[in-house]
Formats: sequence, C-alpha cells, structure tokens
Amino acid sequence: RLIQMSLPNISRVPASRLLRSVRDLRWLLRSIAPLAVPRRALTQMGYRRPGQPREDKPPWWRVKFDLSKGLKGMKRHFQLLKEEFFAEFVGPMGKPIIEHMLEQNQVVWEFRGPHSLQEWTISCDREIGGKSEIYLKIGKNNETCLLYGTLCSDPPKDGETRYSGYCTMRAKQPLASFDRKKYHDWSSFNTLHLRIRGDGRPWMINIIAETYYTHQKDDMYSYFLYTRGGPYWQDVKIPFSKFFLAHRGRVQDDQHRLWLDKINAIGFTLGDKADGPFQLEIDFIGVCKDYAHTEDFAYEKYKRNPEV
Amino acid sequence: MTPLIYSTLIISLGIGTTLTFASTHWYLAWMGIEINTLAIIPLMTQSHSPRATEATTKYFFAQATASATLLFAATSNAFFTGSWDILQTNNPLTYTLMTLALAMKIGLAPLHSWMPEVMQGLTLLTGLILSTWQKLAPFCLIYQIQPHSPNLFMALGLLSIVAGGWGGFNQVQLRKILAYSSIAHLGWMVLILSFSPPLTLVAFSTYLMMTFSLFYSFMMTKTTHINSLSTSWAKIPTLTALTPLILLSLGGLPPLTGFLPKWMILQELTKQDLALVAVLAALFSLFSLYFYLRLSYAMTLTMPPNNPAGTLPWRLNPSHNTLPP
Repeated sequence: RLIQMSLPNISRVPASRLLRSVRDLRWLLRSIAPLAVPRRALTQMGYRRPGQPREDKPPWWRVKFDLSKGLKGMKRHFQLLKEEFFAEFVGPMGKPIIEHMLEQNQVVWEFRGPHSLQEWTISCDREIGGKSEIYLKIGKNNETCLLYGTLCSDPPKDGETRYSGYCTMRAKQPLASFDRKKYHDWSSFNTLHLRIRGDGRPWMINIIAETYYTHQKDDMYSYFLYTRGGPYWQDVKIPFSKFFLAHRGRVQDDQHRLWLDKINAIGFTLGDKADGPFQLEIDFIGVCKDYAHTEDFAYEKYKRNPEV
Repeated sequence: MTPLIYSTLIISLGIGTTLTFASTHWYLAWMGIEINTLAIIPLMTQSHSPRATEATTKYFFAQATASATLLFAATSNAFFTGSWDILQTNNPLTYTLMTLALAMKIGLAPLHSWMPEVMQGLTLLTGLILSTWQKLAPFCLIYQIQPHSPNLFMALGLLSIVAGGWGGFNQVQLRKILAYSSIAHLGWMVLILSFSPPLTLVAFSTYLMMTFSLFYSFMMTKTTHINSLSTSWAKIPTLTALTPLILLSLGGLPPLTGFLPKWMILQELTKQDLALVAVLAALFSLFSLYFYLRLSYAMTLTMPPNNPAGTLPWRLNPSHNTLPP
C-alpha cells in the first residue's frame, strides 16, 4: 500500500492524518492521478449515445425490477426455444432439406412494416461530436425503407479528430432464445442481391462475419455500392467473392474470401465527403446463387514475406 | 509453405505417431502425441483465414487440455503404482483420468464439442489427416490401457453414438457431417473395447478406409456443402455413382464392408449379455444412417438447378482417372 511520492503528486495527496481514514484505495489513487487523464464516474458504465441524458444513478438503481416483465421475458424465450427445438425436426434451420438444396434466392431483409425497422441500427458521426444526421423510416405503402439525412464533414472541435462525416445503417445480430447469437448461413449462395433506389452517392456495403478473437471484432468485408439516382429502381448483384477484408475501415494486406456460413450483420455506410442531404431507399436485401459465377476470390493474395 | 517445411511437418506427424506406437513409457507416448499436435498446427493454419485460425486455436486448446490431463494421470499412476509402464495402469482414478483425456483427444462424447467446429474450419485434406492419422496415437494408448470395468467405455461409446447421430442430423456442411460421423464410429469402437479389443481394431481399420475414401471423393469433386454435392455428377460421373456405396458402408448397411464391424460388435455385446446396449447402439446408429442416406440421395437421386455450362466439366477435364477406360 505504499504510494510513490513524487513532487507533482505531493500537492494532491491529502494530509497524512486523513490517510488513515481512507478505506478505499481506489479513491485515493484516483485523486493523485494526473488531471489530464479523463476520468469517468463510477456510475457512467458503458456507452452513452450523445444526446441521451447522463444517468448518475448507481447501476443497481438503473435496473427496473419488474416481475411481470421478467415472466413475460421468460415465456417469450421458452417459446422461442420450443420453436427452435421443433424446427430441427423439419430440417436444417427449420427448412426442409429439399428447400435448402433447391433454393436459389432468399430474401433476408425486407421492409414491410414498422416492425422491420427494429432489426436495424442507425448511426452517424454525431456520436463523436460531428454534425451529420441520419434517420430511418418506412417508405410509402409499407413497401420500402428510407434512409435519409444530412452528411457533414466538419470534424468535431475536440483537438483530436481530424476527419469526420459518416452515416451508417447496420442490421442487428439475429438472436435465438435466451439472447444467444444466431448466424445467417449463406453458404448455399454466392451473390448479394439488393433492390435500391439512391441519389447517385457511392455507398459502402459491409458484411460482418463471426470472428473468434477480440482483435477481430472490427473486421468487416466491404464493397462499393454505386447508386444511380433517378426514379428507377436499381437491382444490384454483388458476388461475395468481390468483398475485401477491412479492419476499422483500413483495407488489410492479408486478404481472404468471405466465409458465408456465419454472417452476423450487413451494413451500409456513406462517407463520400460530399456534404449535404442524402437518401437511400431499400426494397429488399437478399442472397442468390449464380451458377455462372465460379470465382472464389476476386483479389490476388500477395505474400508479405515471400520465402527465399 | 515451402516444400522443406511441409515435408518436415508431415514427417513429424509420422514420427509422433510412430513414437507413441513404439513406446512403453508414458512420457514417451505423451511426447509422441504432443509432436503430432504441434506438427498439425501449422498445417491447419496454412490458409490464414480467420476460420482456419479459429479452428486451430480450438483444436490446440482441446488437445493441450487433454495432454495435460493425460500427463497428470500418468504421473499420478507412477506415484500410486510406482510404474511408468503403459500396461501397468492399475489405479482406478488414474485409469479414469487417462481414459477421459484420451477420449477428449479423439473426440468422444461428452468431450466432442470441439470436433465439428474444428473440422469446419479446415481444408478437406487437413480434415482427413485429423480424422484418420491423428486418431491413431491416442487409440493405441486407449487400446493398451487395461480396463477395470467396462462401464466407462460403454458409457462413452453409447454417448458418442447418440451424439454423433443426433448432432449430424441437420447439418448441411459436409465437414461437420464427417466430424459427427467420426464421433459415432469412434463410439462403436470404444463400446466393444473392454470385451474384444481385436474387434475395435477391425472397426477402426474399416473406419479408416471408409473415411479416407469419402474425404478423397469430396476432395476430388471439391465439395464442402450438400448443394455442391448434388452437382458433382457433372464433374466426375463415375465417382458420383461410387460415393453412395462409401456412404452406405459408413452407415453400416449390408453387404458393404461397414456392416461387418457393426455386426460383430452387436454379436459380441449379445454374447456378453448386454443385449440392451446392443439394441440401443443399433437404434441410435439409425440417426447416422439417416444423414448418410440424405447425402446419397442428394448426390445421386436429385437433379438440382444448373446452367448448361455447369453440366459439362466431366467432358473437359481429362485429369481425373475415375472414368472407365
């Protein structure tokens, strides 16, 4: 429990007789830490989205203990578990095997009502202090979704961030009973098929696959989506072999193909540095099998350390 | 991978198994098993994809845990009995620990959960080495441990047959199916070990032949999913006609070879007054037969959607020698 005393720290150390009354060493250590290090209060656990009010309540105050809510949750989860159990008797992933073998197209996400929006999360650089805006709503006749907003590349004035200006929409991870992670299995397919209507801006499609190590959690496979604008709908078919690996937006040297058997989510990102309003209307997102497309991976894999 | 490193790893694989086969001391046997594990690790991560590294990591964790347990059991056995000889495992506690450690090594239920995920992340060739060669050394040790009572092996065997059948029930990925098939077959082998070890060897050798053939068929047609299996008729028609025989042999249907070990095992179990165990084993292996039949059905009895160009590879590829002369 010896605290190393140095000249700049001494002025912040409480008087010695008070030291005996200090029971919590963490409090003491924190008080002698350099003031430039941003500190979080004990109650500020987790991520707080900008714009949401700060909650200074301790964690045990923030949980709402409600028996009826708990019982409803248990009932829902057991119901899901029962459905999953009996779905296995139908076939793999609840579909008969003949359907697995014969299907060439599968619509994964479609927007047919406000409930479809629950499967998506939107985000923009407002979270880091920027000025972009993004909104998601169901389009006319409950047939499509409209992602719209304003992009602003002005970096936040915090002295650290140099670039800004992004807006993104990402699907939430599907969850099985008891909030277990479920994956999309697209191994029968080889092409991503989207029906979209944009405003001419170039978007980035990101596919997030399941990873194992924590340092891989920001890995995503990206490709470009060029929208053409205009009133006409655009059918975009992108083979999965075209997707390249990026980590936190940086394209990696060690490339490999996207494994389709465990896909977590898909996302669309706009970051084209063109300030102004944007709109993207999506009818559906599906996958299909193009038998004529036999390419495994579109990019050459260079060896970074070639053996001599 | 350079040929020199590749051949070093392959030779190490051979040396490890040979060392375990040739040893009577637990340390040397354990060393052989470790050499095997370490030699296959670089082979598994050759492709550097995240799935391959994940599979390698999971394999390493499972094998390292089992090796540590095995070494602990061997040391405890030496402490209790004073002997490092593999044939002198007299202490029930150490015998149980050794059996469980070796069961985890080869992927017997209930210690089998690493197997399907690991197989899924590997190439077919590495999966073949994992399913066949890597089982030899631990099996050699299991064979030599003198069982005190057959209950543990019977429990492991029955559980493996159930787990292998039930787990493979709804799989569409071929490598996972092969992993579950491996678990089920190992269950059959271990079930009869305490009563008739030669039958275990018969079952093991037929399993090796059948699994090798099946893996090789999948390698030649480059199939890893049941859908691509259904279009394999366009690549090598003769192999497509022969592969169901391998699959049904794995399922244990007479008059194919795979029926022989199952029949003899059931007969031996009945002779030992374990008719219930025999019936349960036969019933639960019906699950495995179901997915073998499903693979055969997908391969030979379906005509999946295909484009005209996709139906012609067999005409254009003269390198495959499986076409009749």
